[in-house]
Amino acid sequence: MIGLLASRAARRPAASFGIEPDAGVLAGCLLVLPAVTFLILVFLLPTAQIVVHSFTQHVKEGQLLQGLTLDNYARLLHTGLYSKVMWRTLKIATLSSAIAIPLAYPLAMVLAKGSPFLSRIMLFVVISPMLVLVVIRAYSWKLILSRGGFLTEVLEVLHLCLHPQALLYTDWAVVIASVHVFLPLMVLPLAGSIRKIQNSLAEAAQTLGADPATLFRRIVLPMSLPGLAVGITLVFSLTATSYVTPQILGGNFSIMLGNLVQQQMLTLNDWPFGAAISTVMLVLALSSNLLLIAIIERRFLRWTRGQR
Amino acid sequence: MKTALSPSGWTQIAAIAIGIVIITPLLIPIAVSFSNSVLIAFPPRGFTFRWYHAVLSDPDFRSTFMFSFELGLLVTLLCMLIGIPCALGLSRFEFPGKPAAKALVMSPLMFPVLVTGVALLQCSTALNVMNSLVLLVIGHTAICLPYLVRTVLAALLLVPRSTEEAARTLGANTLLTFLRVTLPQIAAGISAGAVFCFITSFDDYTMAMWLADATHFTLPLEVGVFMERSFDPSVAAISGCMIGFSVLLILFVEKILRIRLDRVMMG
Repeated sequence: MIGLLASRAARRPAASFGIEPDAGVLAGCLLVLPAVTFLILVFLLPTAQIVVHSFTQHVKEGQLLQGLTLDNYARLLHTGLYSKVMWRTLKIATLSSAIAIPLAYPLAMVLAKGSPFLSRIMLFVVISPMLVLVVIRAYSWKLILSRGGFLTEVLEVLHLCLHPQALLYTDWAVVIASVHVFLPLMVLPLAGSIRKIQNSLAEAAQTLGADPATLFRRIVLPMSLPGLAVGITLVFSLTATSYVTPQILGGNFSIMLGNLVQQQMLTLNDWPFGAAISTVMLVLALSSNLLLIAIIERRFLRWTRGQR
Repeated sequence: MKTALSPSGWTQIAAIAIGIVIITPLLIPIAVSFSNSVLIAFPPRGFTFRWYHAVLSDPDFRSTFMFSFELGLLVTLLCMLIGIPCALGLSRFEFPGKPAAKALVMSPLMFPVLVTGVALLQCSTALNVMNSLVLLVIGHTAICLPYLVRTVLAALLLVPRSTEEAARTLGANTLLTFLRVTLPQIAAGISAGAVFCFITSFDDYTMAMWLADATHFTLPLEVGVFMERSFDPSVAAISGCMIGFSVLLILFVEKILRIRLDRVMMG
C-alpha cells in the first residue's frame, strides 16, 4: 500500500522539477546502487549459495560428496528425530500466533482508540519488552518457569496446586516466551489498522442498533484483518525461525529447526544437511510472508466488502 | 472524548491485566538481583548490591558491553550512509528495476536472521575473510538496513512536494534543496530509523553466534555464557543493568531526539 503511494507520488516531480527523465533515471540508479550492490554481495548471493549447496552436496560416512542430490531433504523427512523437530517447530509457531491474537486485540483497541493517557502508557508497556535483550527476556522466563521458580511458588502459596509441575524445558515454555517476545509485532500493526477505522462508521452502526459485540464483529474485526494478517505472519515466521528462546527455555527437550541447524553445522560439521534445514526455514518464512500478505489479504478485502 | 469505538471498561481492564503480565517478567530479575542469597529463590531474601558490584567490576561484561555498543554505532552509521540515498532514490526518482530494488532492500526483514548469518559465514570461509569484526559489521548492516530505509521512506512520503519545488524555483540546486529543505523535514524519521538499527544490532544473538570470535564477543553472547556458567543472582544483576539501559534509551529517544514513539510505532 505504502509502496503504491510512494511510486504514484514519485511520478509527479520529474515533470514539475523540470529534470530530464534520463537524468532522473541516472540519479535514481546511482542513489540506490550502493545499498543494492551491498545486499546482493553479502546477502543475496551467500543465501543462494546455501540453497544450492543443500541440493549439490551431502555427507556420507564422514565424506563430503558432490553432485545433485535430494539426500539431505530425504534425511530431514524420514529420520524420526529430525521430522519430529520440524513438526514441533510448526506446532510451536502456530500455537504462538494463535494465542497472540486474543491477547493482541484488547491491547490494540486501547492503543488505537483509548484515552490519550491510557493509550500512551500502554504503548510503553507493549514495546518495553522489545527494548530488552532477547537473551534477558528468555532468562526472566527461566526464573519464572523453573522448579521452585516464581510461578510454582505463587501456585503453591495460593494453594491452587499442591505439587506444581515446572514448565521449563517443555514446548509450552517456548510458546509462552515466544508470545511474550513477539506480541508487540502483532499489537502494533493491528493498532495501526484499528486506528484508521472512522468513528462515524461505528456511530452509524450504533444508531442502527448495533450492540458492542456486533460492532466488534461487523466493523472492528473485518476492518482490522489486514493488520491482523501482518501480525500473524510476523509472529509465525519469527517464532518458526527463532533460536534463542528454544535454546534457553526448551533445552534438549524442545529443540526447534534453528537449534538443529546450529547443532548440525557447528557440532557435527555437517554443512550440507545444515544448509538443507536452513533452506526449509527460509521457505517457511518466505512462504508465510508472501502467501499471507499477497493472497489472503486480497481475500480478506473481498470478505470485508461482502460484510458491508 | 468518548466515541463509539472507545474501548469498553472490560476491554480496558483486560488490556491492563495483559499489560501487567507483559511487564512482570521484566521486573522479576530486578527483584532477584538484590537478594542476598547465593541461590535464586522466591520470594527473594535480604538486600544487597554485591551482585551489581560483581557484574560491574567484571572485565568481560564491561568489554563486551563496550564492543556491542561500538558495533551498534558503526552499523547505524553505515546503514545511514547507504540507506538514506537509497530511500531518496526509491521515493524521488523513476528508473527501471525500481520494484526489484525495493524488494531486495526490504527482504532481509523476511529472511530468517539465522540463515543470513550461516550464509555469510559459509561465504566468508570460501573467500577466506576471517576478520570477525568486518563480518559482524557487514552482517548487522544487512539486517538493519531495511529498518532505516523503511522509516526514511515513510518520512519522505510526508514531505510536501511544494516546499521542494519552491526551493528549486528560487534557484537552489538538487543538493542544496536536499540539505536545506528535505533533510530537516525527514530528520525525525532518520533518527527513528537509526534507533531501530542500533537496537537490532545490539540485541542480535542469532547472527553473532556464527560470526563472533573470542576477541570480538558481543554482549548477548556474553550473557548467554554467563547464564550457562553461573546459577547465582549475578545474571539477574546483568538483567537489571540492561533494563536500566533500555529505560535510558527510551528517555533518550523521547526527550533528546524528541521522537513521539506512538507516531513512529503505529504509523
